[in-house]
Amino acid sequence: MKKVKKEVADKYFKTRVTMIAIFLFIGFLVSFGVVFFAEQINESGVYIMGMPAHYYMGAQGAVVTFIVLLFLNAVINDRVDKKFGIDESRNEQISKTGTDH
Amino acid sequence: MDQQALVSLTLIILTFALYIGISIYHRAKATSDFYVASRGVPAFWNGMAIGGDWMSAASFIGMAGTVMLLGYDGLAYIMGWTGGYLLLTFLLAPQLRKYGRFTVPEFIGDRFDSNFARLIGAIATIIISFTYLIGQLSGSGVVIGRLLSIPSWVGVLIGVAIIAVYATLGGMKGVTWTQVAQYLILITAYVIPIVFMSLQITGNPLPWLTYGNVVEELGAIDRELGLSEYFAPFDEGSRAQFLALLFTLMIGTAALPHVIVRFYTVATMKAARWSGAWALFFIGILYLSAPVYAAFSRFVIMNDVVGQPLDDLPAWTEPWLNTGLLEVTASGEQGVLMWEDLVIHADIVVMATPEIANLGTFVIGMIAAGAMAAALSTAGGLLITVSSSFAHDIYYRLVNPNATDSTRLRAGRIAIFAATIVAGLLALDPPGVITQIVAWAFAIAGGTFFPVLFLGVWWTRINAKGAIAGMLGGLTTTLTYIFLAMNGFVLFGIGDTGAGVFGVTVNVILVIVVSLMTEQPSQRLKDEAINLRYPEQMTYEEGQVWLDDTSGK
Repeated sequence: MKKVKKEVADKYFKTRVTMIAIFLFIGFLVSFGVVFFAEQINESGVYIMGMPAHYYMGAQGAVVTFIVLLFLNAVINDRVDKKFGIDESRNEQISKTGTDH
Repeated sequence: MDQQALVSLTLIILTFALYIGISIYHRAKATSDFYVASRGVPAFWNGMAIGGDWMSAASFIGMAGTVMLLGYDGLAYIMGWTGGYLLLTFLLAPQLRKYGRFTVPEFIGDRFDSNFARLIGAIATIIISFTYLIGQLSGSGVVIGRLLSIPSWVGVLIGVAIIAVYATLGGMKGVTWTQVAQYLILITAYVIPIVFMSLQITGNPLPWLTYGNVVEELGAIDRELGLSEYFAPFDEGSRAQFLALLFTLMIGTAALPHVIVRFYTVATMKAARWSGAWALFFIGILYLSAPVYAAFSRFVIMNDVVGQPLDDLPAWTEPWLNTGLLEVTASGEQGVLMWEDLVIHADIVVMATPEIANLGTFVIGMIAAGAMAAALSTAGGLLITVSSSFAHDIYYRLVNPNATDSTRLRAGRIAIFAATIVAGLLALDPPGVITQIVAWAFAIAGGTFFPVLFLGVWWTRINAKGAIAGMLGGLTTTLTYIFLAMNGFVLFGIGDTGAGVFGVTVNVILVIVVSLMTEQPSQRLKDEAINLRYPEQMTYEEGQVWLDDTSGK
């Protein structure tokens, strides 16, 4: 066991929270944001992949964005863990020996 | 029995044999196998199992039709049921995994150190999951009955018998791997018809890239007929209702206990994050395909059915007209069928597509097997959740904490078997209220659980009194609003399906106000919450973070 400096531990947590906030904000924009302005987008006549942009975002764009965000989160988080010296195989050992009710 | 029924039946029996084989191979030997598959499921396969767990008979059969009938407004379901995985993976799943329990009520009970909170959690979980389960079983009965031309109660009994065997035997471990197999079957069955239909309509085998022009053309056809365009926003409701429904579906998805529990089956927080990503990838394949089904089938109906003389409709319409899923209400102007005269049942879209595209008996049989897989995989996950609430949260944690591992395993098996039988009997003739409750499950789950789980993971100051007040207040508000909305009283134009907005708001306010007005939680509970901020290797103890630097190799 080794002590982790408070600044380091806080920085880890802050990095995670910042990432999550950014990702959720993007997710919010492509779903709620687009729906909020759907009427204006429909009237503006903007098209994506052959269909009106608001319809495209609801039927495909938002879902694809969600998937990309989740994979980005997983990949970037792995990098953050590595930067802070976290070893996944040790994580696995710890969670295996942990108490199971 | 005709040739079609024979092919469908053979395919369904083959898949049933596969599920039972898997559960015999992966049968549960210890309590941890039974509830969380020994926490050893790799993230990729867990993602696939979540896909099977999540996509129900309603997603498989009904969603495409809903989008076709509602146009843009139906897309709330597509975005809501996928967006929930963002909230779940970012805000809840990794931390809940690190906390390391078997069930959602167990997290609530231990995190707030309150058996009363545990009991409320267990009861709410049982109500939500059990009604959802009855919906699945009766849905599967209807599907199998229709496709095999047998009474739907026989279909229900077949489904119940199969699932009772494999869930009781395999527990979560068996259910996990059957869900993986069921996902693969259902997604293959779902995608094949639209690939062929795309080849016929647009000449391209990748419908997701090309169906945009069909959507645009549908708008043009609607304009010509003087209807409001297919993609016109908020044609069937208001913007507020769309946003409220979207919010309710997302929050509810993130708070459904049978989905959350799947994240307990992986090893670490990292695996929980990857599970969420893979899960939405696999789920996305179906959710991106549903609007394609909707566009293609509407295109075919607009071109081949609407505007045709009544006595010269395409041959594929006949069986659906006979079963009442497709109805013609008026004689039509000059003997020609008008769009307004057609009453289309949402379920027809996926089931009729193979016939419309002339794909033959094998593909139709696959749709039957796929629909069964969708119903059974969701039912399996729900059964584990219901039985663990009884056998683990109520029996072991509250009634008999000294039970041995083998007693607990037996209790789990008895609970799961009993739950299957009771749910199956109720599904034979489901009370009308069941279908309604299934539609409200998202509002109820979100309004009861989401704020308490979210604040329980992220906020150290939350205490048992706040959590209990939040859950009870959120549940009461959601149910009250649903009741009022059903009787014509609506706020901001939000209907009963958007009730989650109010439930969640009241829940959050109650948790915060009551927690702040009552005493601080103990230091141990606060420390447990801070500990969830870091990966397994880092632990928070007495104001200090420790890194376990032993090598994992």
